[in-house]
Amino acid sequence: MIFIKGQINPTEVGSRRRLFRRKEKQPTMHLLKQIGKHKWDYLFLLPKFSVFLVFIALPVVWAFVLSFQEYQIFDTVWVGLDNFKAVFTGDLFYKALWNTFRYTLVVVPSQVMIALILASLINPLNRKAQTFFRAAYYLPTVTSVVVISMVWRWMYNSRGLLNYILSLVGVDAINWLGSSNWALTSIIMMAILTPPGVGVILYLAAMGSIPESLYEAARIDGAGPITTWWRITLPLLKPTTLYLVVLGTIGSFQVFAQVLLMTDGGPGYATTTLVHLIYKSAFRDFEFGLASAQAIVLFGIVLIFAFIQFKFLNTDVEY
Amino acid sequence: MKKNVLLMSLLAVFVLVAVVGFFTPAQVIAKDWEGKIVVWDAPRWPDENDDRFHWMKSRIAEFEAAHPGVEIELVEVPWAELGQKLNIAIAGMDWPDLAPVDISGGAIKLKQLEQGVIEPLDDYFTKDELADFFPGALEAYTYKEHLYGIPSSMTVHAMLLNLDIFEERGVEPPVNGKWTWDEFVEKMQKLTFDRDNDGKIDVYGFSTYIMPGYYEAWPFLMMDGARPLSEDGEEYTFDSPEAISALEKFASLKFEYDVSPMEMGGNDVGGCFQAFANPELRTVAVEPWASWAIASVRNNDKYQTNFMVAEYPIGETGQSVTVGGSGGFVVFKQSNKDKKAVVVEFAKFISDTEQQYIFATEYGTFPARKSSQEMGPFADNSHMKRASEMLQYAVSIPKHSNWPQIDERIQAWLQLVLNGEKSAKEALENAGEEAARFLNK
Repeated sequence: MIFIKGQINPTEVGSRRRLFRRKEKQPTMHLLKQIGKHKWDYLFLLPKFSVFLVFIALPVVWAFVLSFQEYQIFDTVWVGLDNFKAVFTGDLFYKALWNTFRYTLVVVPSQVMIALILASLINPLNRKAQTFFRAAYYLPTVTSVVVISMVWRWMYNSRGLLNYILSLVGVDAINWLGSSNWALTSIIMMAILTPPGVGVILYLAAMGSIPESLYEAARIDGAGPITTWWRITLPLLKPTTLYLVVLGTIGSFQVFAQVLLMTDGGPGYATTTLVHLIYKSAFRDFEFGLASAQAIVLFGIVLIFAFIQFKFLNTDVEY
Repeated sequence: MKKNVLLMSLLAVFVLVAVVGFFTPAQVIAKDWEGKIVVWDAPRWPDENDDRFHWMKSRIAEFEAAHPGVEIELVEVPWAELGQKLNIAIAGMDWPDLAPVDISGGAIKLKQLEQGVIEPLDDYFTKDELADFFPGALEAYTYKEHLYGIPSSMTVHAMLLNLDIFEERGVEPPVNGKWTWDEFVEKMQKLTFDRDNDGKIDVYGFSTYIMPGYYEAWPFLMMDGARPLSEDGEEYTFDSPEAISALEKFASLKFEYDVSPMEMGGNDVGGCFQAFANPELRTVAVEPWASWAIASVRNNDKYQTNFMVAEYPIGETGQSVTVGGSGGFVVFKQSNKDKKAVVVEFAKFISDTEQQYIFATEYGTFPARKSSQEMGPFADNSHMKRASEMLQYAVSIPKHSNWPQIDERIQAWLQLVLNGEKSAKEALENAGEEAARFLNK
């Protein structure tokens, strides 16, 4: 019998199948061996994993199941895709989606850019000054959003700080939170002007790990500070930028507390966002099935955005 | 033979029991049940130690002493969190046995009533007992001809007038708190002024807010005879000529007469109250509030104000109107009927004539019982006495299982009228189109 190179010898098929079976079994065996080898490590991970399983994973799965049900206290009914149909035919979903999209589109790039500029200005400073500014810019991150919202609400008052400043230059007071034209802009302004502490810290850490030799080489080649920042710093920060953009997008699509505290979605529905809508569906209207469907749709939207961002921003950086 | 006698005797006893049971008044008596009852309550008036739960604690202690074997656990919940906590507890089927719930205020949804979360209490009251409650209070806790709670208080919305500002501007307060729309506008114009002569208005005549679940502004919208829904609750009627004319008049306070600040019609409840009651501000002369605010500006050192209570302005109907509500306690679904009887007994114990009288004098609510009212709780409180007189003009918020959604649609459009973006007609018609989705759902 003549065998062409690459063709399978029928007599070998059986032994190859056994080989494949052995190979198929290997990952499981490997995993079990790894667990056995690192049993203490996994044991320490167990509490955190259990908490994740009970308080994150199971509720997510339960929300998915609920999205196909009409939730009632004693008699929950399976309704198939009716809740999803209600999401897309509801009069508020598209308004909320559009508001959320506008918020994300402005806030995420602005916050990332501000974090980058701040980190670039702080990075050349000495260690003490760096520590001070890191702490100063991180402070709003650990401050309750309730407190920040209350302060901004006061600033947006007709007799508040912003209208006072406007009056000094002869501009009429603006109804910041009461006008449909200004309400969402006001919430966006608050988000942008609250220092992005996490972004500053991450950018500073990333800048610190860029080898000095690259800057030396640039200086030898006659590059000025702006060219160096543009040609070396910025490209090498791309992984951090991707991380911040993805995290920022997820966070912005979930904007809620500021909306609830400052405008409660109004005036009209000018500031109603997706999570605010989900909150109202669940805890005001008691429509847990509909709220779960809205949450699943939000999850899908965020997933698509994250995928697009990874596709266009993700590059391997080695130095 | 003996067997037959025994059988006949048993049958006779059975018939006797059935007949006696049939003719006995439909009131269930609490039996000797022992165990734990979980009661939620929210802060009331403080005692000398600033404990705002002292009233419920003393009630519990007294009830436990009279019922050995019954233990009552009190869960203290802030008012602001009560509705949400209850809804979460209901979703998790982990509800308390008893809680203070204003059904008309939406803390419990009518859908939840329909699903059996709240126990009907019809069998626990005799006709005589029910006759002691004001009809409006009973109506607030009645749904589809079943009683779902024990009313313990009534509330009403009233206009609060800062008399110091009236005096400062030389404006006479309305006689006996009654005024027509034109008189009201005229006084508001005089009360709007530039105190420091810097060319800017410092004090406005009137302000209020608009947001779902709050009805301070609604008596203005009803002053010409309009009501949000038809009596059977199946039709939206807030787009009637009476509703449109009333809303136009209300909006004119801000856009035509300039007697209201920019925030009027927004959603800042706290800011609105501060503008009226905070001694450092006092930038609004007249605001409508629910009756709890009377106790606050009368008794709270921080907000004590020289004020009077007035009715809402009289519109085309020739009669003032206001929005009223009722507070009380509801018993949550019970699996043990003996326990249920004890829970109901405790609910009755904390809302009897004497307790409602104490509530009225200490907490600033109106009694839901006629017998408590007859005790004269407001003999030395002219503000509450005046507000209580307004109960006769009070209308209730419609009882519809989708009212929260309908209310939200209406209030959202009202906000757009009060910020000048929509006309009254356009807003009320659009609200009707959106509300229609929920009316027959």
